[in-house]
Amino acid sequence: MGLYSSYYTYGLSTFVTVVVALYLLFTGSGEAFNVGQFLEETSPYAWASTGIGLCIGLSVLGAGWGIFVTGASIIGGGVRAPRIRTKNLIRCIIGIVYSARMSPVPDTLLYTRENYFTGYALFWGGLTVGACNLLCGICVGIAGSTAALADAADPDLFVKILIVEVFGSILGLFGLIVGLLMVAQASEFTAAAPAAAVSPFVH
Amino acid sequence: MSVCPPYAPFFGFGGVASAMIFSTVGVAYGTSKSGIGIAGLGTFKPELIMKSLIPVVMSGIIAVYGLVVSVLISGGLKATDYSLYAGFIHLGAGLACGFTGLAAGYAIGYVGDSCVRAYVYESKVFVTMVLILIFAEVLGLYGLIVALIMNARVSEASGCP
Repeated sequence: MGLYSSYYTYGLSTFVTVVVALYLLFTGSGEAFNVGQFLEETSPYAWASTGIGLCIGLSVLGAGWGIFVTGASIIGGGVRAPRIRTKNLIRCIIGIVYSARMSPVPDTLLYTRENYFTGYALFWGGLTVGACNLLCGICVGIAGSTAALADAADPDLFVKILIVEVFGSILGLFGLIVGLLMVAQASEFTAAAPAAAVSPFVH
Repeated sequence: MSVCPPYAPFFGFGGVASAMIFSTVGVAYGTSKSGIGIAGLGTFKPELIMKSLIPVVMSGIIAVYGLVVSVLISGGLKATDYSLYAGFIHLGAGLACGFTGLAAGYAIGYVGDSCVRAYVYESKVFVTMVLILIFAEVLGLYGLIVALIMNARVSEASGCP
């Protein structure tokens, strides 16, 4: 890792993508790059499961990251001011994990418009909740670590710096609201009434 | 290739998600960076903490912008009778609000941190800080306006055949 690590990351992936795209184009199979086909032939269960996994995984990652950042400062500050050790650990619990309300109830495996809709809703909803919780956890962690250090310097500051943490924790709340809104319109996975697939790309 | 393919809501939901996620990135940066400055100010002059919470509040307003756009876009998503045109407009509106919120939050964080640290030594910095923060906040407002205008176009579109 060095000055050019971002060149490797973005440049290499761009180069590979361009090579693959040009290969498809010049060998006469340019139709193979079909975003719509990919979105239609992947199972809605795949989207839904990925969304739920991302929701839990990213939320836990955010909670852990926040706890680690705050805990490091608490332990470091506790060397000089041992009184801060118990008061500040309560703040670690701000990085909570929102339980997955998004649990699909699968019936039969059929590709209807409503099932596609549900799959996409669960994927994007889970990603939103997970990413917002991750960012909330990091933000609260950093704010909490500075609160711990300020508390080590002066005990009266703790409550005032807590206001910053409260503003940070509303981020996770907003993410949860948006995630719930997205999933509220999506019905459960149901079988189509006439047994027909709505997409030509499904076997 | 139909006008209303079944994968059109993928892009609509992508718009909702990107409006919320990207503005949350900006807000998280703004809150944490100015929070570091506020804690530094608090150890020297605790009586100024309440006035120096303004960058944190303005970052929260950016989060509300993202929330409003997400709620508005997700209200227009449906499983049937949803064209690809509507999907891409929703995606564009979400990206507009999200990336401007990211930029505004980043600016608020940097300005808040630096100005709050200067506020310890010179109290006349306060008015300047508020002015600069307003200009940074307005970036997110522009993104919100553009997202609202784009979202209004969706209802004008004709339905699916």
